[in-house]
Amino acid sequence: MSVCRPARCLLSKTSPLPKPSPHHLRTFHTTPCRNARRRPHYPNIKASDLNLLKTQAAENYPAYKPDDEALLAKKYTPSQIAAIKAAEAAIDPLDLVTQSSYRTDPWRLPYEDDLATVDPIIDHAPKLHGVPGNGKFWEATPAERDAAIEQVANEQIAKLYPNGFPENPSDDEKSKIREAMEAVMMHAYMDPRTTFFSDSKEVMDSMVDPRHSAVLQELPRIDSRVVRATATTQNKEEEDPRVKATLLKLGWTQQQLRQQTKVKCLIQHAVVNQTRMGKIRSMYYLSIAGNGNGLLGVGEGKSTEPEEGRRQSINAAIRNMKPIPRYEARTIYGEVEKKVGAVRVQLSSRPPGFGLRVQHLIFEMARLAGLQDLAARVPRSRNKMNVVKATWEALMGQKLPEDIARARGKKLVDVRRVYYGTSVH
Amino acid sequence: MSLVNLAHVCSHLQNATKARLGITSIPVSKLHVALMLGLQKQGFISSVTLGGPTPPTPFLLQAKQSIEASAEHLSQEPWDAFPEPDQTRESPIKDEVYEVDVPQNPGKRRLWLGLKYWNNEPVLSKMKLESKPTKRIWLNSEALGRIVRGRESSFIKGLTRPGECLFVSTDRGIMEARECAEKKIGGMVLCRVL
Repeated sequence: MSVCRPARCLLSKTSPLPKPSPHHLRTFHTTPCRNARRRPHYPNIKASDLNLLKTQAAENYPAYKPDDEALLAKKYTPSQIAAIKAAEAAIDPLDLVTQSSYRTDPWRLPYEDDLATVDPIIDHAPKLHGVPGNGKFWEATPAERDAAIEQVANEQIAKLYPNGFPENPSDDEKSKIREAMEAVMMHAYMDPRTTFFSDSKEVMDSMVDPRHSAVLQELPRIDSRVVRATATTQNKEEEDPRVKATLLKLGWTQQQLRQQTKVKCLIQHAVVNQTRMGKIRSMYYLSIAGNGNGLLGVGEGKSTEPEEGRRQSINAAIRNMKPIPRYEARTIYGEVEKKVGAVRVQLSSRPPGFGLRVQHLIFEMARLAGLQDLAARVPRSRNKMNVVKATWEALMGQKLPEDIARARGKKLVDVRRVYYGTSVH
Repeated sequence: MSLVNLAHVCSHLQNATKARLGITSIPVSKLHVALMLGLQKQGFISSVTLGGPTPPTPFLLQAKQSIEASAEHLSQEPWDAFPEPDQTRESPIKDEVYEVDVPQNPGKRRLWLGLKYWNNEPVLSKMKLESKPTKRIWLNSEALGRIVRGRESSFIKGLTRPGECLFVSTDRGIMEARECAEKKIGGMVLCRVL
């Protein structure tokens, strides 16, 4: 390569050389060659050029004015002011604007705080160390103890009865005063001032100061709308609206429902739904609910979560609770037969004292419904689900003598009731 | 006394009540008439009428309208469109005698039955022959008493369902089993009605 060529290039103003075209260049390596530096279509303007950040910083973090300094001088000593100014000077406000930001890490404080004040809820109360005053106290002598008890009792009585005892108290008020006196004396005996004594008032006060207690102080009770709202959502179980409707229908409260109804989960097994995503396993539950006195309900539930499915079935059973016709509140009316699927259930009434001579599923249902004398046959298939459903339908589908009498226009008489009179209910 | 025909009547009545028919007809025979009157007495059916191939006109429709209100009369006295109920007049069903067309030819006669329904359910829902044409069953009063009390006797299941009836053909006519047991008479069991 000739040496004069660069010089000629430098000297020549209008270069006759053609611009190197990337397409015709031979490449000597496998890395794709970079074209000339791409220039943006529009020129970028740097923020620093516009001085925007500086103005923002000056706005957000202004320097102290003479008025502010006068205010500061009222609160702080000149050395403190000097320290504040040094600290302010050490940090460039531009850095604060460009670099400082709110924390987003998981370990940040859950509240906005400059940690200057003690929050009574979030922060621990400041613990005091050492005994104030002269720091001397001793075990009280009997005389000191009696004086202390008297003083404490008087304080408490003054708190309970700020206007003094009522004149000419009635019996009711007398008993109340007696109770109050007992409570006050108990409080006095428990007070540390009656056990230890000091001639310093500060020491005596510190004995009842909760900040000196080894036991952590109770949190203050705050009554606000937000607190109430959160408390109700956290503490109360969420209620099924349909169960609520059932309660409304029965005229029961939640507590009554819990006390009076018995619930039993009779059947549970896993079921599988085959989808294009694969097999989805769920748990199936069949529950019954009853009050042992004529109400019975059957409910089904299914969910991938076992507990959820169980709760579904129990809620459904409670919702489905219906009165079951019972003869003499112990057995059914005559014979009933019902068929569900391949299951045929035959229920028949029995005399008093016969008992529940039935299979286990029907036994549980009869027990929760409050039936005491019953015989049953399941002559064909014994599929558990269908046995329960057929029994439920059979119990609900009883023909009542009153209906038969109205339908036929005939008078029907319960001979047992007539014979035994009112001794049979 | 053909039990085959009675079996047909039983299944026909079951079908008719399942189809929610108002009235239906069965062939006429002494046995059928007696049994149907027994059913009516027990309240399973509302009416038993002898008639021809066409159903008899219902009694209420046969009652003559007393006031024939003309258009002229109504224009002058429009309140006569709704005549006052006559308290002195007795029920039309009791007193008046109605004409029913009964064919001379006994083969064309039919027994028309009014069926009953209550609470959207037929009053007579099941009717089943107990004695079969090939095996007739005669019971004495003791056996009938056991059956009425809900026990099984002589291959006849007891009356365990509420409102169940058993009809027995006796020498004093066709009776319900309870009536027979009360009167201490036995007879041939015909059918079980529910």
